[in-house]
Amino acid sequence: MKKLIFRWETALLAMLLAELAIFGLINPRFLNPANLIYGTSDFVQIGIVALPLTLVIIAGGIDVSFASAIGLAAIVFGVATFYAVPLPLSILLALATGALCGLFNATVIHLSKIQPLVVTLGSLYLFQGTATVASGLVGAGGYEGIGNFPEAFNGFGYAQLFGLPATLVVFLGLAFVLVVLLHFTRFGRVVFLVGQSESAARFAGIPVATVQTITYVVTGLCAAIAGLVMSAYFGSARVDLGAATLLPAVTAAVLGGASIYGGQGSILGTLIATFVIGYLQQGLQASGVSSQISSALSGGLLVIAVALRHGSALLADFVAVARQQKGRAAITSGGERK
Amino acid sequence: MVKEQAAGRVALLEDIWKSYGAVPVLKGVSLALEAGEVHALLGGNGAGKSSLMKIMSGVIPANSGRIEINGRALTHASPALAQDLGLYLVPQEAHILPNQTVLENICLGLRPSPRSLRPRVETLVAELAVAVDLDAQAASLEIAERQIVEILRGLVRDARVLILDEPTSALTPFETSALFERVRKLQGQGVGIFFISHKLREIREICSTISVLRDGVIVLSGPLDEYTDAEIVEAMSRVQLAADGGTAKAGRKVAQIGQPRLTVRGLSGEGFADIDLDVRAGEILGLAGVVGAGRTEFAETLFGLRKQSAGSVHLEGKELKSRSPRSCIDHGLVYLPEDRQQNGLFLEAPLYWNVSSYLIHRLPFFLRSGTERRIFDGFRDSMGIKCTGAGQSARGLSGGNQQKVLMAKCLSAGPKVLILDEPTRGVDVAARNDIYALIRTLAGKGVAIVLISSDFDEIEQLADRVQVMAFGRDGGQLSDAISVDAIARLAFGASEPNHA
Amino acid sequence: MLDLFARNRVVTLVLILTLAYAAIGAAAPGYLSGATLSTVLSSSLVLMLISLGTMVVILTRNIDVSSGSVLGLSAAVLGLLLNAGVGLPLAIVLCLLTGALAGAFNGLMVAYLGIPSIVATLGTLGLYRGIMLVMTGGRWIEDLPQDLKALSTNLGFGFSALTVVVVLLIVTLWLFLRKTRFGRFFYAVGDNKAAAHHLGVPVRRVQFAAFVAAGTCAALAGIVFAAQIGFIPNQAGNGIELKAIAVNVLGGVSLLGGTGSVAGVVAAVIFITSIDSALVFLKIPAYWNDFIAGALLLSVLLLDGRIRQLIERRIRARRYAIHDRAPVPDATSSTTRIAEASR
Repeated sequence: MKKLIFRWETALLAMLLAELAIFGLINPRFLNPANLIYGTSDFVQIGIVALPLTLVIIAGGIDVSFASAIGLAAIVFGVATFYAVPLPLSILLALATGALCGLFNATVIHLSKIQPLVVTLGSLYLFQGTATVASGLVGAGGYEGIGNFPEAFNGFGYAQLFGLPATLVVFLGLAFVLVVLLHFTRFGRVVFLVGQSESAARFAGIPVATVQTITYVVTGLCAAIAGLVMSAYFGSARVDLGAATLLPAVTAAVLGGASIYGGQGSILGTLIATFVIGYLQQGLQASGVSSQISSALSGGLLVIAVALRHGSALLADFVAVARQQKGRAAITSGGERK
Repeated sequence: MVKEQAAGRVALLEDIWKSYGAVPVLKGVSLALEAGEVHALLGGNGAGKSSLMKIMSGVIPANSGRIEINGRALTHASPALAQDLGLYLVPQEAHILPNQTVLENICLGLRPSPRSLRPRVETLVAELAVAVDLDAQAASLEIAERQIVEILRGLVRDARVLILDEPTSALTPFETSALFERVRKLQGQGVGIFFISHKLREIREICSTISVLRDGVIVLSGPLDEYTDAEIVEAMSRVQLAADGGTAKAGRKVAQIGQPRLTVRGLSGEGFADIDLDVRAGEILGLAGVVGAGRTEFAETLFGLRKQSAGSVHLEGKELKSRSPRSCIDHGLVYLPEDRQQNGLFLEAPLYWNVSSYLIHRLPFFLRSGTERRIFDGFRDSMGIKCTGAGQSARGLSGGNQQKVLMAKCLSAGPKVLILDEPTRGVDVAARNDIYALIRTLAGKGVAIVLISSDFDEIEQLADRVQVMAFGRDGGQLSDAISVDAIARLAFGASEPNHA
Repeated sequence: MLDLFARNRVVTLVLILTLAYAAIGAAAPGYLSGATLSTVLSSSLVLMLISLGTMVVILTRNIDVSSGSVLGLSAAVLGLLLNAGVGLPLAIVLCLLTGALAGAFNGLMVAYLGIPSIVATLGTLGLYRGIMLVMTGGRWIEDLPQDLKALSTNLGFGFSALTVVVVLLIVTLWLFLRKTRFGRFFYAVGDNKAAAHHLGVPVRRVQFAAFVAAGTCAALAGIVFAAQIGFIPNQAGNGIELKAIAVNVLGGVSLLGGTGSVAGVVAAVIFITSIDSALVFLKIPAYWNDFIAGALLLSVLLLDGRIRQLIERRIRARRYAIHDRAPVPDATSSTTRIAEASR
């Protein structure tokens, strides 16, 4: 086991603290605990999809369609309430929609054997189109949204549990479940093994397709949860609810340590990275930077972070070579060569 | 030996040093090659052969040293420069661009367009007397044909120095003799050739000089006639081959071989047909044959990785009908894959993950890493796996230790029948002896073992009985008088008049 | 037959397109007219440029998802310069330079620092959009000068000055990739990087060049965008990168690199744009667009994947059939094998 201090999660935590300290210096009110806690409502939805996305990436896949699965699940919920379907059933329908989206992706990927990026790119359009069509059916038009939810549902967006916003509790609860699932169970182990070598996994009798399918379904399910959380928070369901989560969620997973080539990553890392990205945006806004620019800058952060990780690997190599050359010089002077 | 007008030195290496990270692989190597010379280069795994070749051909830079090709210096690591100077490396596995035509593959990187080079390539093809369709998609080429593409690449570049890196490792005996014809022709034209191989018989047939590399240093060099096989082998390994092979086998034979474990009848599938096979408890069955004889396909079909088209498989009298790797593992039929890096190991994963991967479905849902580590530590002690700990990743281990980890992975599943596919490929001599001893111990404990190997010495040393596959079919059996010659006769059998 | 459709995407696309046109023409007779052609042509230009740039990158087995932001950034540079009174030619040159620089930064990270291209360009997708917003202060750029808008006026048959430039670019790119030594390197690098390096292809320089080309194409698309629309909104080019990748896939460019043709991409762009225009003409509500595009793309992918698997299976069966058949190989066997495999 690597020492705690060398772990990527530790570096991320340090990054988060440094970030909070810097923004605190610029604008002391930023560090107000209530501010920090309730601010999370603006970005938990990123984390809710970034966590399962980490699973997909570790298992050697990628999913970009969650961004429109969020909107689709929300619209299904909206349409269901429009037709006065009871609330619990509407929620179930939304969750089932999300799961089906994931199942659809996995099925197409396995049937066509085409790279997941291409397939989920296609379903990104398909889900978004389906959502637009569905909302058009109830006369909500393109992007106006479906509202008029029951009070009980809207209330959830601002409810409190254990003194924390309910949405944050959902996120943390999800993170806890996934940490256990990924790092302490047989399923999580198999996810890592499949991502590290699909062929070796097949030779070991691991059901590769099933494992990957589960990761996509979980992602679809969580996208639906994110869609519901956002609908409750905004009081309406819109097609483009999830559009703004695509880039930050992939960023959070990669910044959290997930390797785009599969086989590596951690839920804890993604969790911390979500806060790093979320507070970066809020801190920039608190320092007077416009929200558009601050969200764009999180892309820049991703580049720097990933470049740093690569850079440190290169540096380690370089140091090893230098040490080796020194060792060789010693041999030479010892007279092995003429 | 024909030496033509172009006699003289075509390649010179002086004092080449190279290390990867902290690991030194070349420690001051010097070599020279004359025109028309075929120079054998031998060395065990990790001796530094392939690094030396890559440096010479400009693929990777040396840390220090001097390289001269045709009297001109290779000033920096660039394959283009090395090729301009007249050196071409024919790699062990041909570098093929699958989506391009054969002609484009041959001419890639050259200044004139493929179309204008076509007449020249056609002349070369005629001179070599090979049959190649220049307009075919390269993806459809067989291994031997890919190698011809590589050789043509070298020739069309007017190479005066060719490096052939284990060129026969994937060839059938026929293709090998055709290749040697070509090499002699090139030699007649004054081309100097480095011939990398570990097959002494082939080296004796085609080479005039020899150099042996061990641990990054040249330990023997000179005209081939001056050295005996024993001297060369000793220089390569410096470890005496274990002499106890035959006696250990003889010692346990008859007494311990028990009930039939695995019975295969008429199994057919991709690349093989109508194979019968029996192994008993405690028996080591050698499954011999040359590359491409269909042994790996047979084993993978047995293990449920490929579809079978006909036949039956019984394990201890019970038929295994629709087999998957998992059901095979559960029934005690365990396979050690041929390609260690690709199919056997999870290279980035900790060693204990690797060892427990065959029995992962039998572990509790909530894993306890302590249990898994103990399983690994048990194997580490009993097999002498050299590593820093159970958490080390498999990539960092040497070939021999990787292979031991793979053996541990198979054993952790508690096999009744163990199929070992090339268990000592790319493994150094010491680890090889350990693995041999382990295989004998397992047989002694009553495991039925099917040993697939292209190394007939290995089969002679270990097997109680030998079954040969040739061209996807049953090539004959040997139960006593197992010798390399007898196996080879059956394996290459097609050309023998006495083969039915 | 199967092989023809699998190998030659252009034929497939043209066939489907003709059928679709015939069907729409039968349903709505007014559709097949010069006006439609001219609309399709001019509205395909931006997507065409982005798709061609993306294609060059995909050929080398990388991917560029930042092109939409590069379009926005370089269009903003153009707009700000023009509104500051800089002459049109100089502004265009600086705009193209901006795109080339943005592409060069992508290329630097991917080719020389070894960062996976999807990660690097996802990052710059945000970064370049951010720089654009900082430059414009988050405001739209309006009141662009008339001489810029004049570039997109119809000179006849739906051809504008910009159309001519794009057609020239298509021809140049086709010649470059087909006929020149350096052009073939793009295919070689994507097909097998190690082999290309082994044969002396400057792999990194080729990858770098691909990104620079993609950036320049995106800048050119920015010019077209600004000339056609007449103003530059904040979200200019947003999401077009995904559409361009979809077009490439539809046009038969493999994301695994090494295969694809300019003709395929051009056909796919015309195909997608025609569908959009047909939907408008048939008065199908716009909200069906994404649904149809997505469903179409996925069906083509699924079909393509299945056909490819079928062909692979056949090749495999043929290979093993050889082992069954020939217990005695002879000198001629390798000839017959190649002949069979290439059939």
